Amino acid sequence: MPRLLSSALALRRDPRILKIPPYLSLLCILVGAVWLFLLPLNEYSRRTYISENALLPGQVHTYFGGSDQNVLRAYKQEVNSLVGKSNVEINDKLESIVRGLGLKTARQNFTYHAAGRTFEGENLYAILQAPRGDATEAIVLVAAWENVKHEVNKNGVPLVLTLARYFKRWSLWSKDIIILLSPDSIAAPQAWVDAYHDAHDSSRVASLPIKSGALQGAIAIDYVQENRFKSVHIVYDGVNGQLPNLDLINSVVNIAGGQMGMGVALQEMWNHNDKYPDRLRTMLRGMLKQGLGLASGPHSSFIPYHVDAVTLQPFGEGWQDEMAMGRVVEGTFRSLNNLLEHLHQSFFFYLLMHRERFVSIGTYLPSAMLVAANFTIMAIFLWMKSGQPEIPAASTTESSDKDDAPTPTTERDLFLPLAIVALSGSLSAIPLYIFNHVPESALTPLFYLFLLINTLFPITLSLTITTLFSPNLQQYHLVKSFSLLLLGMFLSSLATLNFSLAMLIGLLSAPLSFVKPSSSPVSRIVGFVLLNLTSPPAVLLASAAIWGLNVGDILREAAVAWHVTGTYSAVVVWCVWWPAWLAGCVCVLGRPGRDQEEEKKVKKA
Amino acid sequence: MAYVMLGHLLNWPLHCETTATRRESRPSSTRLPQHHDLPTNIINTTKMKLSSLLLPAFLLAGPSLAEHTSNWAVLVCTSRFWFNYRHLANVLSIYRTVKRLGIPDSQIILMLPDDMACNPRNAFPGTVYSNADRAVDLYGDNIEVDYRGYEVTVENFIRLLTDRVGEEMPRSKRLLTDDRSNILVYMTGHGGNEFLKFQDAEEIGAWDLADAFEQMWEKRRYHEILFMIDTCQANTMYSKLYSPNIIATGSSELDQSSYSHHADNDIGVAVIDRYTYYNLEFLESEVKDTSSKKTVGDLFDSYTYEKIHSHAGVRYDLFKGGAEEARRRLVTDFFGNVQNVEVDSGKGEKNASFEEEMVRLSRTIAELHTRAEEQEAAERNATASAAKTGKKQQQPRKIQRVAKPLTDDNWWTKKIVGATALAGCAALWGLGSYLEGVV
Repeated sequence: MPRLLSSALALRRDPRILKIPPYLSLLCILVGAVWLFLLPLNEYSRRTYISENALLPGQVHTYFGGSDQNVLRAYKQEVNSLVGKSNVEINDKLESIVRGLGLKTARQNFTYHAAGRTFEGENLYAILQAPRGDATEAIVLVAAWENVKHEVNKNGVPLVLTLARYFKRWSLWSKDIIILLSPDSIAAPQAWVDAYHDAHDSSRVASLPIKSGALQGAIAIDYVQENRFKSVHIVYDGVNGQLPNLDLINSVVNIAGGQMGMGVALQEMWNHNDKYPDRLRTMLRGMLKQGLGLASGPHSSFIPYHVDAVTLQPFGEGWQDEMAMGRVVEGTFRSLNNLLEHLHQSFFFYLLMHRERFVSIGTYLPSAMLVAANFTIMAIFLWMKSGQPEIPAASTTESSDKDDAPTPTTERDLFLPLAIVALSGSLSAIPLYIFNHVPESALTPLFYLFLLINTLFPITLSLTITTLFSPNLQQYHLVKSFSLLLLGMFLSSLATLNFSLAMLIGLLSAPLSFVKPSSSPVSRIVGFVLLNLTSPPAVLLASAAIWGLNVGDILREAAVAWHVTGTYSAVVVWCVWWPAWLAGCVCVLGRPGRDQEEEKKVKKA
Repeated sequence: MAYVMLGHLLNWPLHCETTATRRESRPSSTRLPQHHDLPTNIINTTKMKLSSLLLPAFLLAGPSLAEHTSNWAVLVCTSRFWFNYRHLANVLSIYRTVKRLGIPDSQIILMLPDDMACNPRNAFPGTVYSNADRAVDLYGDNIEVDYRGYEVTVENFIRLLTDRVGEEMPRSKRLLTDDRSNILVYMTGHGGNEFLKFQDAEEIGAWDLADAFEQMWEKRRYHEILFMIDTCQANTMYSKLYSPNIIATGSSELDQSSYSHHADNDIGVAVIDRYTYYNLEFLESEVKDTSSKKTVGDLFDSYTYEKIHSHAGVRYDLFKGGAEEARRRLVTDFFGNVQNVEVDSGKGEKNASFEEEMVRLSRTIAELHTRAEEQEAAERNATASAAKTGKKQQQPRKIQRVAKPLTDDNWWTKKIVGATALAGCAALWGLGSYLEGVV
């Protein structure tokens, strides 16, 4: 055992061991990326299943139909007459209808300011008290007047009104049912959910006058389509990439797909053949949405409060009518009604690749962790390397007294590297603040200005550092080591919260592991150009071009998300990725050992 | 045998009398908790005392042991929550059946951990059905639940079986059986390999159950038991039983699930399990009343894999007489209230027979006395003659003596021996200490 230990310690001193880490970290990145592409295979993904025994989806006959269809038609007439009117006028009319059903109603005002815009409105909601329940729990049925694309929810609102009337007739509810009619799909539900949990800023969002019990689940209906539909699209992404419990999605799939015989689509994959390419596409779309962390519908705001929620959107040309959609909601509500405790049995961290196929966190997490680990490995490697003298002892004498000689270590000069990393970190507050507080009209010009500054600034910074402090190679190693250490640390913890965001940032900042200061100007320029191609603003510009979006719109959405829903993706981009990128630029532009060369020249002279 | 037949004949009036009194007191009794009617209790206790008095007679009687004098049922559902509706429906349908076949509420212990009838999710408030046709409301208006809600625990169940209860325990919550009681123990819930889950917090193991039954046997608390269990891997639950006179049956083997039969799509849950469903089917169609001669064997033979979708099991080996004897037991011996109460009807007659017995007994004793005296006298004569003729007869008596009596013979000799021994000890000690000093 002691011999083994000593040989292990000797191995530690072996200079060859220091050659491994760069290859190891490259391997980590490759394995992490390949891992992701293996997930859609049958061997790595799993079929979905209902975990919660209490749900019993699709076991009840649904009776929504018959004369309710006439009621729906009448409500549709009423709702159509309201199109184009003001929020308050709409609420006045809807409130009189809901109150006529015998439900308690209330309203709530909210005002948000973001990107120079004001988002204000008035929520209308009603509580259907469970006739035999104890009012300790509630489920929510949401219909926003406008969906995320600002189309009027012409069928959704009448359907919810009809369902409220229909649900009122049943006596079997164990939980109260809350009907929420919000003027829009993002800010209004957010204001309502915040106020429901008393987590609102009372200067912007009014408190709720009446409440019910703890929310157990929410279903939002986004039913814009006029004709008969074919399938239901389930939108499930929450704010900051949080997801509803998989059991809720499975229940809807079971009821809509199994019981009602309609198709179910996810992630806008309107036709899914359950083959590898389609699975991969669904998964990557889900990851992208999760990574962005934006609200994707009225349900999104519920999820951070641990209220499982989805939005249902009918789509396609088929023979299903509003009544079928109503029966899907009825069946889902009967299942939620069966719940005895919060949905907790199934997964909260998963990637769906088909309506009946998923991978859970245990299977996909290693890929993001491996990518994050590559930065940590490089950081440790650079730390060790910085402790060794720059020119190792002559290799001829090495073999004889290698074991006896203590590893030579040099003193590390920590002040400058730490200062550079701290500077780049603190500078990151500037873009974060600017992009979240500038009016919408100024966002696009500001972005291009920032892009320019972003390209020139590292050069200026590097020049300043080299002329003022003329750092040596060791200090550049330490700069890179500290910045990668931080990056690796942030990304590995982020991977557990928002896997997709960590994975995306990890892959985009992977080049930072391999850039190093060079004495030749050509490799310095090539390195800097490469880094600039993967800089945060460049990636933003490139992705806007790929998806045909306006950069200004993207930035506005991000600013709104920051102010209204509390999306933290901007923090990750500006305060984690950008400082690491800046430090990487400083390294790549650095001219180490200039002082030493000069000293040598002086000696020669 | 004739004695038992007599019991059969003389029993009827008494039996009728008790049921009559019970019927009278019925309207006044409340639904929950149930109370025993006084007359039955008195009869029960007198019967117990009587049985202890007549124990020697029973031991002599032999064949009469095969008869029981009361029927009890312990019906246990161990799961709560709405989605376990079927387990409560299972146990309530068995409850309804044993009541139909005559076991009174006072002799049924019903354990229900949840109240499905009043669950807000129930589309038909106040009812529990075990069939989607909803023909029979099992909750009805005449149901007595003895243990409910969180009272249904492993501890309470074992205390009930073994009667280890405090004085404050009402009689309605006690299993007041004796060694002539046949008990039907029916359990349903969620089980696994050698355990059955009670509510969501605890479980009973197969050994716990076996030990509880053994204690019942030791305390003479049953005559015969039919143990029936409907859970997943149910057969493992009775695998550890080791007490006699138990017939055990379960719904499924190790690693087999026990399936539900069908769901009621308006209630929205499964309403009954397959095993219980087919047991009930047999009981409803074949055992129409207490006069049915269908045997337990017939019931067990009706189980098929096609119907139950799992391998139902039966265990006969604990039963005296094995499978043959066990299979011959009537279904109504456990599910019904067909009793063979012995003795009684008129007090005079009973006393007369008892005195007769005593007289016969004293006669036998007197006879034995005289016989013993005669034998002794004969022996004495024999020894006297032997003393005259030879010494051979004395030998065995001497051998039998082990302890010698103290005598004053050779007093001086004994004293000298003692003194010499003491002196020797002293010399040894002296020598020892001297040697020690030298070394």
